[in-house]
Amino acid sequence: MKVKRGPLYWRQASAGLLFVTPAVILITVFVLGPLVFSFYISFFRWNMLQPLSRAKFVGIGNYVRVLTDETFKAAMWNTMRFSVGMVVLTLAVALLLALALNSKIYLRGLFRTIYFTPVVTSMVAVAIVWSYLYHPTYGLFNDILGRLGIKQMGFLTSTAQSLWSVMLVNVWKRAGYYMVIFLAGLQTVPAQLYEAARVDGANSWQMFRKITVPMLRPTVLLCVVVATIEALQVFTPVFVMTKGGPADSSLVAVLHMYDTAFSYMQMGRAASMTFILFVLIFIVTMIQVRLMQKGGVEAY
Amino acid sequence: MLQLGRVVEMDSNAGAALGRTHRIGHLVKQILVHGFLIFASVLMLLPFVWMVLSALKLPFEIAARPVVWLPEVPQWSNFTRAWEMLDFGRLMLNSVIVTVLTSAGVIMISSLTGYALAKLDFPGKNVLFVVVLSLMMVPFFMLMVPVYVIINKLGWVNSLAGVIVPEIAPGFGIFLMRQFMMGLPDELLDAARIDGASEFRIFWQIAMPLSRAGLTALGVFACIYHWDNFLWPSLILISPETMTIPIGLHRLYQPNLFSMYNVFMAGSTLAILPMLIFFFIAQRHFIEGIAMTGIKE
Repeated sequence: MKVKRGPLYWRQASAGLLFVTPAVILITVFVLGPLVFSFYISFFRWNMLQPLSRAKFVGIGNYVRVLTDETFKAAMWNTMRFSVGMVVLTLAVALLLALALNSKIYLRGLFRTIYFTPVVTSMVAVAIVWSYLYHPTYGLFNDILGRLGIKQMGFLTSTAQSLWSVMLVNVWKRAGYYMVIFLAGLQTVPAQLYEAARVDGANSWQMFRKITVPMLRPTVLLCVVVATIEALQVFTPVFVMTKGGPADSSLVAVLHMYDTAFSYMQMGRAASMTFILFVLIFIVTMIQVRLMQKGGVEAY
Repeated sequence: MLQLGRVVEMDSNAGAALGRTHRIGHLVKQILVHGFLIFASVLMLLPFVWMVLSALKLPFEIAARPVVWLPEVPQWSNFTRAWEMLDFGRLMLNSVIVTVLTSAGVIMISSLTGYALAKLDFPGKNVLFVVVLSLMMVPFFMLMVPVYVIINKLGWVNSLAGVIVPEIAPGFGIFLMRQFMMGLPDELLDAARIDGASEFRIFWQIAMPLSRAGLTALGVFACIYHWDNFLWPSLILISPETMTIPIGLHRLYQPNLFSMYNVFMAGSTLAILPMLIFFFIAQRHFIEGIAMTGIKE
């Protein structure tokens, strides 16, 4: 309620201020403060064990070293490939499942439950299970490939396949999540549109192209942005399954930061990495939103 | 609200007019779609089936080549071994404490702040809203290093508080609740005000009950996320007594100890079960909740 600054206003205002106080304190202490602090230490060489006052000021030295570091470049390159692969595959699978379920289907609820199940499982647990499935000698996958007469694969132990093997686990675990969001998006398409199109003699493919696709576009935009941010920050499955190996072939950005900060204790350098990765994520997100807007999607 | 159970009626009316060719086409389409759905189900379930079967095997069956699908004699003792090695009761208790307290905190803070941003007028409101919007763009990894330093200074390393407290003011939750509470009718709140209800009472007895759908969505989202959260807790929870399920399971897992894979599979099954059971019980809320978080209005 908008009121003039009288007693009534202050009654509301004092309540409002009181209501937001806990959030403001938490945000200040655990988000805004830390961001400023992180930016500050990104200009120092500091291992956290010594007091900060003894840390050595290195100017933009951390940024220069990170940007010229081969391992960091490899981690960034892996993260980009992982993210593109994961977003495209996950959303493609999710969309296919959602479209297949969005009609009169026998046991529809059961199928939806099955596809959603991986979403609610523990990532560490499924990463362990998939490590066994992927095992080059005793794994189920190589056994099946052998029966089909296809040559044995290294999966997690191969420098060419490790990143994609981890990605596949993520696709399997997350597809159901985006499927539910796509299904919700499909439900918002008015049924009259299809009826009108059918009266005009449109076939299924035409209705999909001319009604479903444009109506679903905002949902797809949202999912692309959310899935990209999620993929760029991947950590757990890589940490459990490969630790970034073999030979850094599956090293991703957040894992590299984790190692830098908590294995090598280079807090300043790790902090500079977070800002570099943040700028990258920010640019990617902006480009995506722009592209979608050009494609006719309203700003979210 | 979304009606997920509703199916868009695509094939009902027009079908009759088009006659037999259409019906055969329809049948073929149904068979293809179902074939695809069943194939996808097999792929989705295969890892779970393999996990449970392997959890019941002897070490030599785990390493058999070609693979053995069914164990000769189911080794239920693998589960007791995994339970004891994990100290699963303790892990479960810690996980429940972390998930419940964090989710409750998230719901409380998000709804209080979201309500104030949506329905109350106070100085600094717009600034706070912009801050909340920008918070949603701060990825967790940016806070990993500095918040760890703070938690370390507070002496909260190796305590559940160190996992819970930094996580309870999420920009996303506040934004979601603000959007939801914008839709509450002002007349109702004003009527209560005229009747002399305090602002907190209006929030607690009118706004909260009317926002049940939004609260459920946020609660489901927070539960799934915090139950499975790994990176941050793995930094804070370093002794077995404080560990949550994912951290404890990761500690048990040794990739090169192949003779133990049956126990690892049993441990993984134990780790997955609680949330899975909860999901099957409260399925509708899960699916509707997730669907809602995907719709911005």
